Amino acid sequence: MCGIAGILFKHAEVGLETGKALIDMLDGCQHRGPDSTGFALYGAERADELRLRFFVGEGEAAEDSVRRIKQALAQHQARIIEDQRIGNDYRARVAFRGDVRKFSYAMEHAAPGAKVISIGESLEIVKDVGTAHRVDERYNVHDFAGSHGLGHVRLATESDVKPEAAHPFWATGFADVAIVHNGQITNYWKMRRRLQRRGFEFTTDNDSELIAVYLADKLSQGVPLKEALKMSIDDLDGTFSFLVSTKDEIGYAKDRLAAKPMIMYETDDLIAIASEEVSLNRLFPGQALDTREPPPGSYDTWSRST
Amino acid sequence: MVAIDLAETSVREANERIREAGARGEDVEVLNPDARHHIGVGLTDPITVRVRGSAGYFCAGLTDGPRFEVDNNTGWGLADNMYQGSVVVGGNAGAIAGVAIRGAEVVVKGNLGSRAGQVMKAGTLLCAGNANFMAGYMMYGGRIVILGESGERLGEDMTGGEIYLGGKLHSLGSDAMVTDISRDEIDSVMEFLDRYEIPFKGSLQKVVNAGKNLRYGTTEPTVRSLPFFTFSDDCDYWNRKIQEDIYVKAQIGRYRVRGYGGARSVPHLSDLAFKNDLARLGEEKDPVSKVEMRTLIGGKNGARALDLSMPLMIAPMSYGALSRSAKQAVAIASGLSDIAENTGEGGMSDAQRDAAKQLIFQCLGGRLGWNIHDMRRADGLEIYISQGAKPGFGGQLMAKKVTKELAAIRGIPAGIDLRSPSRHPDILGADDLVIKVEEFREATGYKLPVSVKLGAGRIHDDIKIAVKDGFDFVELDGMQGSTGAGGAEVMEYVGIPTIAAIVAALDALDDIGCRDKIEIVLMGGVRDGIDAVKVLCLGADAAAMGTSAIIAGGCIACMQCHVGQCVTGIATQDPEHEARYKVKAEAQHIHRFLETVRWQIAALTHALGYDHVRRLNRDDLVALTPEAAEITRLPYAPEYREREAALLGKAG
Repeated sequence: MCGIAGILFKHAEVGLETGKALIDMLDGCQHRGPDSTGFALYGAERADELRLRFFVGEGEAAEDSVRRIKQALAQHQARIIEDQRIGNDYRARVAFRGDVRKFSYAMEHAAPGAKVISIGESLEIVKDVGTAHRVDERYNVHDFAGSHGLGHVRLATESDVKPEAAHPFWATGFADVAIVHNGQITNYWKMRRRLQRRGFEFTTDNDSELIAVYLADKLSQGVPLKEALKMSIDDLDGTFSFLVSTKDEIGYAKDRLAAKPMIMYETDDLIAIASEEVSLNRLFPGQALDTREPPPGSYDTWSRST
Repeated sequence: MVAIDLAETSVREANERIREAGARGEDVEVLNPDARHHIGVGLTDPITVRVRGSAGYFCAGLTDGPRFEVDNNTGWGLADNMYQGSVVVGGNAGAIAGVAIRGAEVVVKGNLGSRAGQVMKAGTLLCAGNANFMAGYMMYGGRIVILGESGERLGEDMTGGEIYLGGKLHSLGSDAMVTDISRDEIDSVMEFLDRYEIPFKGSLQKVVNAGKNLRYGTTEPTVRSLPFFTFSDDCDYWNRKIQEDIYVKAQIGRYRVRGYGGARSVPHLSDLAFKNDLARLGEEKDPVSKVEMRTLIGGKNGARALDLSMPLMIAPMSYGALSRSAKQAVAIASGLSDIAENTGEGGMSDAQRDAAKQLIFQCLGGRLGWNIHDMRRADGLEIYISQGAKPGFGGQLMAKKVTKELAAIRGIPAGIDLRSPSRHPDILGADDLVIKVEEFREATGYKLPVSVKLGAGRIHDDIKIAVKDGFDFVELDGMQGSTGAGGAEVMEYVGIPTIAAIVAALDALDDIGCRDKIEIVLMGGVRDGIDAVKVLCLGADAAAMGTSAIIAGGCIACMQCHVGQCVTGIATQDPEHEARYKVKAEAQHIHRFLETVRWQIAALTHALGYDHVRRLNRDDLVALTPEAAEITRLPYAPEYREREAALLGKAG
């Protein structure tokens, strides 16, 4: 129930003001969701390193959580290269070579008061209550200069307004896959039980997390992202418009009823997708954009040049 | 010329200034619009508004008369429900451009988003570029001209009107077909293009409704009427009702459509009893003077509240399902008893407006009879999402009732089996709904309460959405509610019981600590003042009744409302049948009945030891059955059954 946005700069030499662009796009559609705002950002990757982001909250309990997380990292042979407390988060860059899924599940249980927000070689998710500008003030999103990212503004209708209920969602257990979603998956529990039987863990009851894990599972089996999106339209019931991102690509899928809005604008340099045109206009003030609305039951992907 | 800079002015203030300029006959220029929503909403003067940039959702929505010129793009819902006037957009328009227009000329020089012209009734929507999927979706009349490509499923489920296409036809929607185009039609389109200075050299093809799906293939036979109360009696597996159902389905080969509500036994208000000894009941000869019953509904967010002389409203029932005369009688009675009446679907009549002291105007997905002028003379606005008797479904009005006059008010072709859309074109989730509510508030200067009608289903979530989207009150409707026409199985098996609905609603509001943010009017099988008091005890702010009012006004409960030949003149559009209905006499009957409800509410409240209906609470109730106890979490007290039976004798 919300507004979504995504942007990918196709060529590394172009501007790459991804953080600023996403803030502008989300500010443009903040009326769709004033309660919380979040970003999935992709920074530079380094071999055998992971970026971790935990929600720990504030105060003494947060300090205790950080201590426990550090112990858990040590136990799992993850060496901290640098770390930081920022806003509600504990953020760490670690040297790690091992099974990311097992490691992720272990980190999820590292401290009772903490939650993993994202794990990836380049992905970092930033999310909190408040508007795009407020989250930026707290987490310094505008300085971010990666090639692509996703954003989300949330109207909390079915659960509380709290930082960990904000979007985007990370595909729990799979590095670097993130999702923003507007809509509702009606066969959520059926799909979730299927994935759980195969050993996947879920850390929320949110249908966005399900889509992320569903897609990441396909990707890990070697299915290309575009093909996985095509399969999702058959496998997921409900009404949805979602954006997904990986280390190198962003993509979208829209259900066959096409009830949730989505509009896109593409040039040689970038692809920008949002719930409303007002978000796209923020990137190109004063211009009449030749925008496109994706048809029902459609999907597509774009990748950055590497 | 008035210049308004949206970099410095809120849309709300800008719209007020635009309307003031309209009243003076001055044109307006809107600077730095920055794709803001609701620009120009509610304007009913023939001035020119120039938007120097892009506009957001619902630009020029709910208007009649003005000319809009937008330099760049617009968001979705361009010219929503516009009557006369024009909009020219220099760039592209988002989804549902020209939604529900009734005469306006909408010109988009770039491309159109999806579902352009959805449920439009009259006027012209022109696109110089390409259209997106389902242009002309459920259109009832008027014309769409697309000079570029059609997009997928052109004319999906269209009923009337014409679509002229200059470019490639991707695919046709269901029940649409390509047909011959006449010289006159081409001339008329070319004249339109010339008027708006749009060059076009190609040829046009014409798409219209193919006429295969406008009426059910076979009409339902008129069966010997089975009185509702016989019908609902024995609820075993095999009985006369099941037998009749099978006979009819064997003939028509589809689901049945009938009037009235579900007839299964499900836990209801009659399974609850008052805990206190009501020995005092009847001792007080004039309880009405001893109990404060005045109830204000809808004023939580600064709108002018409905001022009810008792915690009761009339449930929404449409002109269409009911005759004009029957609606008028209900309206008169509501005015005499000083409570609120509701238009239901299908528009507002002058007679109804004049008779009802307070009238809620209801907006449904088909926008049938919806317009800015009647919005302004309403006392409340209501967005219908669904109804207790048929949650998730639109109304059905069989061809017999879709007379010329009725069709004209609704803006649709006469003589079709009208299956109203179950979805709104522009409400597909909580986020869209909040923008729609804002449009209504903008159009009416934030004066009127805006409510949402919810059929009980996913109440726990829906009620939170209602709060979040800023509605002033919710009309919550349980499955014991009735309808003029609905699928028989849907009525029996889809909704959830009224007592379960109110409990789920209050639980959800407790979850988010928002009980004081919204008011609840509960309906669905509220028969009398005893039920109304139980509804208040359960925690609702007011009750609403429809069926009882109709019965009081002469309904014989034959369940043939959908057929259109109602012998009492209530559920018919046939002038001969309607002539039998004596408006003044029946209005008095309904009024007298409403006054018995007033007396019952007062007498019971007084007997329970209170001087104000607001004091009624859950502690006043017990449950008579284990099921009702489970649903309501009230104490199970079967020993009260005898006392409840006595009460029915005494208070009734």
